[in-house]
Amino acid sequence: MYTDWDVRRIADQVQRGEATAESVTAASLARIETVDKMVHAFLHVAADEALDQARAVDKKRARGEPLGALAGVPIAIKDALVTRGVPTTAASKMLAGYVPPYDATAVARLRAADAVLIGKTNMDEFAMGSSTENSAFGPTRNPRDPARTPGGSSGGSAAAVAGAMAPCSLGSDTGGSIRQPASFTGTVGIKPTYGRVSRYGLIAFASSLDQVGPFATDVRGAARVLSVIAGHDPRDSTCLDAPVGDYETACGRSVQGVRVGVPNEYFAEGLDPEVEASVRAALSTLSKAGCLIRPVSLPHTRFAVGTYYVIATAEASSNLARFDGVRYGLRTLGDSGKRDLRTLYGATRDAGFGAEVKRRILLGTFVLSSGYYDAYYLKAQKVRTLIRRDFEEALREVDVICSPASPTPAFRLGEKNDDPLAMYLNDVYTLPASLAGLPAMSVPCRPTASGLPVGLQIMGRSLDEGTMLAVASTFEALRASD
Amino acid sequence: MAAPNVDRQLVLHVAKLACLSLSDSEVDRFTSELGRIVSYIEQLDALDTRDVAPTATVAVDRAPERPDEVAPGVSREEVLAQAPEVEGEGFAVPAFVE
Repeated sequence: MYTDWDVRRIADQVQRGEATAESVTAASLARIETVDKMVHAFLHVAADEALDQARAVDKKRARGEPLGALAGVPIAIKDALVTRGVPTTAASKMLAGYVPPYDATAVARLRAADAVLIGKTNMDEFAMGSSTENSAFGPTRNPRDPARTPGGSSGGSAAAVAGAMAPCSLGSDTGGSIRQPASFTGTVGIKPTYGRVSRYGLIAFASSLDQVGPFATDVRGAARVLSVIAGHDPRDSTCLDAPVGDYETACGRSVQGVRVGVPNEYFAEGLDPEVEASVRAALSTLSKAGCLIRPVSLPHTRFAVGTYYVIATAEASSNLARFDGVRYGLRTLGDSGKRDLRTLYGATRDAGFGAEVKRRILLGTFVLSSGYYDAYYLKAQKVRTLIRRDFEEALREVDVICSPASPTPAFRLGEKNDDPLAMYLNDVYTLPASLAGLPAMSVPCRPTASGLPVGLQIMGRSLDEGTMLAVASTFEALRASD
Repeated sequence: MAAPNVDRQLVLHVAKLACLSLSDSEVDRFTSELGRIVSYIEQLDALDTRDVAPTATVAVDRAPERPDEVAPGVSREEVLAQAPEVEGEGFAVPAFVE
């Protein structure tokens, strides 16, 4: 059976005819069958559709047509991205049974590159959470340690790759939802620059922060997926028309003389000592590779959690207004006996949304409400400016900034469930780059003594995914030879 | 800022604005949780932002508008196929005019 889960190798072998897309897809489906009963990375496995797509790729090759950059590569898709004809729920009861009539742009681009969509992955409901425990359909377990969460909100996409069910997947990252699960599962995860990848067809959580990005088993594989999904899309008014770089070639660039900033604010109270030691060892590896390690300061870091939870919830409360029981998804009038429109809205939303989603809608509605808008929402938007300026100043002195992706390794299922604020504080290292709209990624560094993965976060300048990837790829190669 | 007292009345007011019919136990739970979260957020008050412009979004100056051209979209049949209740060629809703 095919077991070489490397994006580029699969595509190369399928392009050269050394493996069929069908055999690779069958192996992916077989692995899901064995492993996913325990992991629960998938909400829906699109077995028949995937095999059809794979056979179509093989036929295309047989006809002598050129194949795309992801020829025959199985890819798992976060259930926040709509897929034509394949159920899409955003892990919410609100959308149970919804079958979208169109593809998200990122999904359409994967299909055009001859990738094989094997299924839809579990997540925190509407991407609200950091552990995938907020899924309405049960949590995902971390393949590296089933007692622990894979992180979130793109936990299913991270677990699908970590559990060798697919070599790559798509997630979405609003405040760390790709980087933190990548860190928890020992996979590579990239949040591109805000606007780099189209959000068309991504079920919206916080529109000024949401970005689609890849997970993969290695940096170059993730770079290849990113190069396929990136680029201007007239269907997303925030999607940038800047040229897409050659991200895979960028992975091979020398990092000699690249200035790596280390913000002391990210090595503060609450950082697990083993995570700190691992990240500091990674910095020393980069230094040996010729990077110049420099201290930098991002003084407003400690305000990022408060800022984010005002802005993201405000935007969410507006975005989630569309779930009203009229056009798609759940509809109920409840049991009050009333049959008016207001009752339909209220009862549908109470029955369809889980606790975390309601909590965020309430907080977001509150910060936007009359009398509180200036004090909370406008204030947070101003602090967002200060956080952006921190990065602008630091990135004048250095080329990338490195930190832990998360203050701790993967925590246990249930460990933070009763304390929403503790769960939010876990995102402290990933939120600032999201607020600043900068590209950022997590690449595995040395695991803890008990074998739990740790992620090195690398943050870059706007649209400079290339330098970030060069640093990540160099580190990955040296880590392997350690 | 004057710290608001997050009590049941405020939560019920906000829930009404958000069209959420909460149960009594939900109101209790969210009152206590939102109270803690709002007091955490009040740390932003420590910053002087009088002369700071707000950031609503980043980098959209590099996102050009598309030409305003009519193009085919998803068909009515496909859209209505996902609606929980349909009447004629549209979505069905309960009466909202007395």
